[in-house]
Amino acid sequence: MHELLLFASVPIHQHAELLQQLAGLTAMQPRHCYERRLIFKAYRKPGVANARVGASQDLQSGDLQRVNKMLNGGMFYTQVVGPIQSTDFADPSVTATANANPDPNPNASPLDPDTDTKMDGMDSDSNIPRSAYDFDQQSWQLEFRDIPEAGTRSAVTSRVMATAALPRGDIVPSMNAWGYSFVTEYLVEGDMFIHNDIVINLHRVLHYPTIPGEETQPRHQIPALQQMAPLEKSGSYVLQASMTVHDGSNQETMKTASQHLFGLREQLKSAVRLEMADRLSLDTRVK
Amino acid sequence: MADSFTLPLRPNLEKSDRPDTLPVEIAQINEQWGGFRDVNEEVLLAKIAEEEERGGPVESDEDGDKKDMDTTERREELYKRRAEITQFAMASHMETMFALDFVSLLLSKHAPRQAETSMSAFLKQVAPVGSLNSEVVHPPPKPDSVNKDISTVSRGWRIQNFNSAANKLLGAASRLEKEVEAETKYWSSVLAIKDKGWKVCRLPRERQSLGVQYGFMEATPAFRDRGLASLRRAKDGSLVLDQGLVPSGSRFVRVRVKRGSRITGCTKPPGASSNDADSIEQRILQARDSVFEDELFHELVREARAMASCGVTTRQNLIQIPVADDLEILLDLVDVNDESLHAEQDSSQDDVVLAGGVAHSIRILLSFAHRQNLHRRTQVPLPLTPKRRPNPEYHLLRPALAYLQHTSEARYLESFIRDIVSTLRSSGFQVPEFTAQMFSNWKLPHPRPSPNALEGLISSSLKPIESVFQGKLLTPNSSFTVRMRTNMSFPPFGTHYDVSFNLPSVPDLKSPGNLSLREEVEAAVAHLLLLDVVMNISSAQVEEKPTEPDTPAKRWWDPIYPHMGELLIAYDHPEKHKKMRIVLSRDQLSLETYLVRCIDGIGIGTAEGRSQHTETKTWNLQQSLGSPNQQSSAMDFVIAEAST
Repeated sequence: MHELLLFASVPIHQHAELLQQLAGLTAMQPRHCYERRLIFKAYRKPGVANARVGASQDLQSGDLQRVNKMLNGGMFYTQVVGPIQSTDFADPSVTATANANPDPNPNASPLDPDTDTKMDGMDSDSNIPRSAYDFDQQSWQLEFRDIPEAGTRSAVTSRVMATAALPRGDIVPSMNAWGYSFVTEYLVEGDMFIHNDIVINLHRVLHYPTIPGEETQPRHQIPALQQMAPLEKSGSYVLQASMTVHDGSNQETMKTASQHLFGLREQLKSAVRLEMADRLSLDTRVK
Repeated sequence: MADSFTLPLRPNLEKSDRPDTLPVEIAQINEQWGGFRDVNEEVLLAKIAEEEERGGPVESDEDGDKKDMDTTERREELYKRRAEITQFAMASHMETMFALDFVSLLLSKHAPRQAETSMSAFLKQVAPVGSLNSEVVHPPPKPDSVNKDISTVSRGWRIQNFNSAANKLLGAASRLEKEVEAETKYWSSVLAIKDKGWKVCRLPRERQSLGVQYGFMEATPAFRDRGLASLRRAKDGSLVLDQGLVPSGSRFVRVRVKRGSRITGCTKPPGASSNDADSIEQRILQARDSVFEDELFHELVREARAMASCGVTTRQNLIQIPVADDLEILLDLVDVNDESLHAEQDSSQDDVVLAGGVAHSIRILLSFAHRQNLHRRTQVPLPLTPKRRPNPEYHLLRPALAYLQHTSEARYLESFIRDIVSTLRSSGFQVPEFTAQMFSNWKLPHPRPSPNALEGLISSSLKPIESVFQGKLLTPNSSFTVRMRTNMSFPPFGTHYDVSFNLPSVPDLKSPGNLSLREEVEAAVAHLLLLDVVMNISSAQVEEKPTEPDTPAKRWWDPIYPHMGELLIAYDHPEKHKKMRIVLSRDQLSLETYLVRCIDGIGIGTAEGRSQHTETKTWNLQQSLGSPNQQSSAMDFVIAEAST
């Protein structure tokens, strides 16, 4: 599958207004979503021998060729994406009032209306509060994105993509078995809109508060949303309009898809400027 | 003299001197006479001669002179004229040059170098540069009387013009006032519409005018786009709803129920809900309703075409759906104000309710389809492929039709089972009551209302409908179950029956499996009950034994062919056996005993060699209803026959 993309940067003061505009354009309410994103890096396992043995005139069977290609092909970073709910975040009021009287905190976060998350409040060895988040039931999806195609004349970013569902729970052993090692993780917070065939994402990247020793594996608990810091210090958002095409070799559909994206760009022209991204900034190859 | 002085504000139209310009005339000549290329003297002369012949001597004098002249004279005339033209041009040139010299000489005092360039050589010789001057000359003062006259006249003029200007301003003010009033009225009514919750927006194609959106966002694009009308302002400021080319009359989908050839039920047109029928609010509501009804009928026709395999027929403006037996449902789109709608009075209350139910259900289902569209639209879309995704028909008629068919089939089956059970009871068999569980897969919604409960309720009604009939049989531990499902949404269509039973006394009996005809189900149930009766008779011996232990040789009925309802008492005589045949139908149970002469009595059909002498006993359904206990029971007959 192919993915066609356009991006725009949205400063924080424009965010609320743009949400309204997009809601009007797409005639739907924004769907607020949070995604955990784990970054894995492919590595070549030691001891994997080159399967090409013997004389070169030996005709390789199709399977062998494919295996060779997989083993010796380029290596990429991939992302493992897990959607989470707003109730999965820890309640900051729990730690704050853990030792005080249990009257409800009037300053409780509006994002955590669920009071069922008042548990493990006595966990005093760290000041990261706990929530009802169950890591073992977390669903995951593997997202592979190639480096965007070079030298396209069209003014959209297009790249090869693939997604696959993964088992729930702790994903690291499976990924290790496939030759991927965990690098880091971050959180994406944003709103999604659907406009005909275009998925519009208005999101920003959040970083977890750093705790030493937790970088080697994905977190089993999610800290409170207030403790997360945006990657972009000003808090600005990224608007991403994307469209997937089933068969990227079909010029006709690729053209249609980019026409649709250009149509959206025209419609949003007075609000934001959608443009293609720098190719090398979306490079996913392992170097 | 004009009575007022007005300033022309419009550009004055320049009137051309000649009515036609030269190109127009040339075009006209081309059109009338053909091209100029073929014109030469002979042709023109011939034409003139021709006209002369036809019209007589109507030539003007000039033409006559021309005719008299011969060519040399004409040439002279031509030369003379040319000389005149040249002379005239020369004279005008000279005059122009004089004027130029004069102006140059006058200017040469102030700008000698510049003026010198335009002076003629002759003038330079004759007159020195700068020898001519000009001065402003003050006219002699006019007498006072004249001055006074002039001032009076101009004052009069001024007063007149002020008056006229004042009138104009007052006119403009009153016009503006009217305009403001109209605008206020317009905008207040627009605001009133907005306050009632209608969506007011700019028209996409006509950015300067306002529109109101009353349509359904999730409808088919053709009808979604019709849900927008512009709000125009009439002269007096009242609001006009401009729907463009859409006909303004309100229509609705009428549902009629037809039994045989009579229309027995019909839905009424929706009455005007408010007495203020002409208000803008009412007109918007009416426009919304008619868009909805138009879309409903469009979708109904689309679905009806796909349902042609179920016997649904469509005409231009009529959908005919055969439901069951002689019941038929007719759908058409009619005008609300059509007087002929009220003519039919031949209706029954049940069918009016049925028609109303169908009418409501198709509307609810269309609204449900709209919600489903919204739901589908806001999902992450599938990857783009070159082939277009099909646009499936909505489920509007199919659930209604499935419900009606299922009800009809279930009622039929229920009455059949009740009848056959009553027939058996009339003959003295104590058949247990059966239970009918209609619409067993429809669950009541959650008591707690939630936004999705309604949609869940409706989507459960789109699933196949299931009803279950269960009953116990005469022989202990045996039972039967008929499970019927009606499904109109995906194949296999129609009602299907699944007959299952538990009859341990007949071990090798297999279930008939899926049946799709009601006659087959009837046959299966009747057969099952017949087997049950046969087994019940044959097993009754066990109960008899302890009562009469002193007769060990007592013979009893042996179910020789239970599937045919035949039982046998074998006697010692090889060619004389007693046979009983049981026939069970919906309204009759008959027991017949006769002697057969074939060996062991196992012959069947013509081979059984039956005697003429028969004993027959029948029990009918009608008797059982009237007097249940008048006749002797079947078991008595069986015992009596066994003992003789």
